[in-house]
Amino acid sequence: MASLGQPVASVRTPRSGILGTPMSGYFAYIGRRLAQFVLVVFIGINLAYVITHATPIDPVEQSISAVTSFGNTAPDAIEQMRTSLRELYGLGGSPVEQYLAFWKRILRADFGPSMSAFPTPVATLIGRALPWTAGLLAVSTIVAWGLGSLLGGLAGYYQKSRGLKLMGVIAMGLHPIPYYILALVLLIVFGFLWPVLPITGGSAMNLPQTLTFDFVASVLQHAILPALSLILIGVGSWFLGMRALVSNVVTEDYVVYAELAGVRPWRVLSLYVMRNALPPQLTGLAISLGGIFNGAVITEKVFGYPGVGSLLVDAVYAGDYGLVLGVTTVSILGVSCGVLVIDLLYPLLDPRVRVS
Amino acid sequence: MGGIRALLLVACALMPQLSLSATSSHAQGIPQNISRKELLILENPEGTIKNAGWFNIWAINAGSQSNGLQQVALDTLWYIDPESGLDGVWDNSLAADKPQYNADFTEMTVKLRKGIFWSDGIEFTADDVVSTVTTQTKNPGMRFSAVLASNVASIDAPDPHTVVFKLKKPNSRFHANFTVRWGAVWILPKHVFEKVEDPAKFDFNKPVSLGAYVLNSYDPDGKWYIWQLRDDWQRTTLGRYGKPGPKYLAYIDPGPPDKRVIAQLNHELDVIHDVAPEGMFALAKQSKVTRAWFKGFPYGHPDPTLPAVIFNAQNDLFKNPDVRWALALLIDIKAVSMAAYRGAATISAIGVPPTGAHPATYHQPMEEWLKGFEIDTGKRKIKPYDPMIGKQIAEMLRPSMGEQIPSDPAEIARAFGMGWWKVDPQAAQELLEKAGFTKRGGAWTTPDGKPFTVRVMVEGDLRPVMTRAGTMIVQLWKQAGIDARIDVAQGTLPTRRAAGDFDTFIGWSVETWGGHPDLSYFLDSWHSQFVAEPGKSQPLRNWQRWSNPALDKIIESIRTVGFDDPKSIELGKDYIKLAVKEMPTIPLMAYNVFTAMDQTYWTGFPTSENPYTNPVPNWGNSRYMLVRLKPVN
Repeated sequence: MASLGQPVASVRTPRSGILGTPMSGYFAYIGRRLAQFVLVVFIGINLAYVITHATPIDPVEQSISAVTSFGNTAPDAIEQMRTSLRELYGLGGSPVEQYLAFWKRILRADFGPSMSAFPTPVATLIGRALPWTAGLLAVSTIVAWGLGSLLGGLAGYYQKSRGLKLMGVIAMGLHPIPYYILALVLLIVFGFLWPVLPITGGSAMNLPQTLTFDFVASVLQHAILPALSLILIGVGSWFLGMRALVSNVVTEDYVVYAELAGVRPWRVLSLYVMRNALPPQLTGLAISLGGIFNGAVITEKVFGYPGVGSLLVDAVYAGDYGLVLGVTTVSILGVSCGVLVIDLLYPLLDPRVRVS
Repeated sequence: MGGIRALLLVACALMPQLSLSATSSHAQGIPQNISRKELLILENPEGTIKNAGWFNIWAINAGSQSNGLQQVALDTLWYIDPESGLDGVWDNSLAADKPQYNADFTEMTVKLRKGIFWSDGIEFTADDVVSTVTTQTKNPGMRFSAVLASNVASIDAPDPHTVVFKLKKPNSRFHANFTVRWGAVWILPKHVFEKVEDPAKFDFNKPVSLGAYVLNSYDPDGKWYIWQLRDDWQRTTLGRYGKPGPKYLAYIDPGPPDKRVIAQLNHELDVIHDVAPEGMFALAKQSKVTRAWFKGFPYGHPDPTLPAVIFNAQNDLFKNPDVRWALALLIDIKAVSMAAYRGAATISAIGVPPTGAHPATYHQPMEEWLKGFEIDTGKRKIKPYDPMIGKQIAEMLRPSMGEQIPSDPAEIARAFGMGWWKVDPQAAQELLEKAGFTKRGGAWTTPDGKPFTVRVMVEGDLRPVMTRAGTMIVQLWKQAGIDARIDVAQGTLPTRRAAGDFDTFIGWSVETWGGHPDLSYFLDSWHSQFVAEPGKSQPLRNWQRWSNPALDKIIESIRTVGFDDPKSIELGKDYIKLAVKEMPTIPLMAYNVFTAMDQTYWTGFPTSENPYTNPVPNWGNSRYMLVRLKPVN
């Protein structure tokens, strides 16, 4: 058990590693986790491949429909167009040949061309959308997590504080509101009734995307509403989770003993209570951060914000399984990496976890 | 603590700047550094363009088309306006005259307009037209490759302003490929494409314009495109009609319908392409400066497109016209109009959209024939046509919409349509019984004793108005004892439609020029030579896979007469009569597009009182609107 004054840091020694576990054991643990990581990614990508190829949407028919829906294309030309598109999109070959070609490309980090934006590479489309998604979601996730965890921790510790009780009521009130309702309310309030914030796009029109003050200010300004909507919804769940965790920790013997021993309350809160309550929250944060590569479809749609989510939805409708696979592969890697990192850090963060 | 103080300092420094700019008009989606008085903002209904920097429209489905590219930057030989046109429906654009065919329609000669220049100063000549054809026929993966390769045997330019197309087979409508309805085969710049190794993989960025505007800037994330009037706009085909009003055009993705309404109420979106009927009603109520096609109800512009219940005629259940007619007689079009458009629909009983030139050419002249038309139910003969249904819809709406509903019968017919089929469950029952169906315990069974199940395929929230119509029709059929079910296909509809994987669906297989009475635009594709075998992909537009020897005869006759020949109108009427008798699809209404125009900054938009062009901003023809727009002082 950790000594009271230094509950975590003092248990590590160079020889024993984590709580008496030899460092070689930790490396073996890393090896096992890395192997699991590779397996999870492999299975995930294969599942995505199977599901996308089982879609009833034919990208060739979608393209033909898009091209001909308004035009005067003679029916006899359509068959020629079908043949040309199948060749162009690389849809020839047996399923096995297509599967092997897919893995060859994946291993070269090449997702091939997008079929709904042919011949632009999928990687280019994702690369263009990802910074918007990552920027918005990473910031709003971290802010929501930080605020929620901090306030939740305080509310769990100072259970008689009226202000923090009120925070709890607000968090419980916000948490169950469907996201799109909250987003629409923000849109109507700040975009129409009191129109002070932009309601669409990632930055102002006709402003070059260069690292200037105007552009950065415009990006921040355009991110306020979407970020606020995500934070308001997100902070509630982190708040409630942390409050529940802290409420349990404060009843532990070592906390009671520390208080009786006259340890300063702020020290008890930060080192004895919060630190021990944080690991589950950190796991949730890691998974949420990994999940940002999925994009936030509703946020992007409601606020017209550029990002991966809309790209994915449009690709599904267009039957563009190259693009769907590209986005899902990035997402699988994101979530798996998030979980891997937290798994590797967990024994370092929580001394109660033994790696062997 | 030092770090926290530093962060607070940065935040304090940034917040006033952010809030200051937030309260300016620039915060609300207005382009920076462009005077609002010189700018027209239009919706691009394609939404966010994921491949924003792609302007090669001749590549298949690679980038945006209606981001202003086809409306204001490109041009082709002819335009046919779906309304009355600036100077008549037909406009010789890059062509100096109408197409000249030889006697057997195997050769088409085109005289080209002189003095037209590309935006980079190169003169437009016949070589550009020749290059448009040869570039695409040599590269099979391009947008118009197939249609050009299947038609053109050779193309020559005997002089810089003449082009001669030699065709592989007689085709009296070949010029239609180079005639804009919504779009067409656009002319490409030879001097640009001849230097390109692979034209199908060339992005054409920055595009060289043949239209009156050039690209000013665009969003790499595909949310907006800004076009600027050319200094030499007189050297474009639009220059004949005067100087376009707006110096700048912004084609933007304003987001979902509710945001479009907000943007227009904030005067940040001058032309909404389309909103839900409820959005249009909200705009009409809340904004004094918003104008739609009709001044009042039903507001929307009726596109020359005809939504219908489309049967799969290769399905045994729907091969018999008596069954199709029975299902038609169970539909209450008033209920469908209310469900789909809340009454703001223009109905049509016949297989031609009730818009543009068609009411005068087809609907009105055929009214007497429709009134006298009879069907034999097997027990009696009935006259199913009710000429008063359009008026009944108007009267039904009058208590709630008041003065917005016109009183003049001609106005009512123009806004709500003329007649439709009476709801006649008894006749429907007799027709089903005639076809061998039986009703047991209130439910219909097919001649082979199975429940009469009809799936009605719709696109769901991708096309809510049509989905609402389909849902109402399902309800009406269910009430009559048919096991009708809604089948939400969402994005799979194009694939399933082509594969014939449906019983019925709500969509359209009829699209016309609108302003011109010729029906070959869609009708030629209904010839039995194009009907696919069951299980194989059906080319557009005969999604119903219906074939009929009498129809083939009509189509073959149309192919032998010229585009403007009055005989084609008579043949068109023959098609309509045949389609009424056979009911291969149940025509419902025009596809009404709720294009909303904000008159805060610009005035002179096309309307039903001044129908000089189609206001729907993704149509190529919408360029004509620009020369009539005037800034509001």
